[in-house]
Amino acid sequence: MEKIKIQTVCGFGCGSSLFLRMKIEGILKANGVDATVFCGDVGTCLTNECDAIFISEELSERIKDRASVPVFAVKNFMNTAEVTEKVLSFIQDKQQ
Amino acid sequence: MDDLIRKENIQIGVDAPSWQDAVRGAGNLLLQAGSITTQYIDEMIAAVVELGPYMVLMPGFALAHAAPSAAVLRDDISLITLKTPVAFGNEENDPVKVVLCICCKDRESHRTTLQRVAMSVMEDGMIDKIAEAKSANGLLALLQNA
Repeated sequence: MEKIKIQTVCGFGCGSSLFLRMKIEGILKANGVDATVFCGDVGTCLTNECDAIFISEELSERIKDRASVPVFAVKNFMNTAEVTEKVLSFIQDKQQ
Repeated sequence: MDDLIRKENIQIGVDAPSWQDAVRGAGNLLLQAGSITTQYIDEMIAAVVELGPYMVLMPGFALAHAAPSAAVLRDDISLITLKTPVAFGNEENDPVKVVLCICCKDRESHRTTLQRVAMSVMEDGMIDKIAEAKSANGLLALLQNA
């Protein structure tokens, strides 16, 4: 099975998405899941190939209707419980 | 080992009555370092206005930044702690007491330094400790030993 690709998105691709990316990488590692996580920005994220997009709630409004992959709106990038729940539910769905 | 953030780019107890002042305060360090033009400071403030205060990533912590642009002369990072916490409009994570400010020349650059700083900052309780640091040296030690 191809490795799962998760894209984290923020306004500019070089800031908060990095934090979210590290958060998700940590969660994947802690749960023994092998996946690639990379950063994108809200302007170009829809053209980047991935299996899911994790994005802040405010920004998600801009893309969710046009995205062809699941979009997970995160209220608080740093809330481990929230991010963990969303990441794991996506992985589980994907693996079924 | 090189300092994670240059000491000149760190300031403790900045007086910032509003979030714009907080962003300017952090931005001014980068300006003085010759890493940005004043335009970048305006861009960071415009970013908060346009995209909302999602930059308040964790309780008490805001990441001020804008898109890579000609207003960035070179990659750099600055960090300030505020004398008095300030609200950015993010219900969950306000008020802010620590502002990390970054400028990137392009999206890919300077990832490793930023990553190391981000990892330190994300440690449990780190923001509170940083907010209470009494000196730039003390703050730097916290980050580097995380």
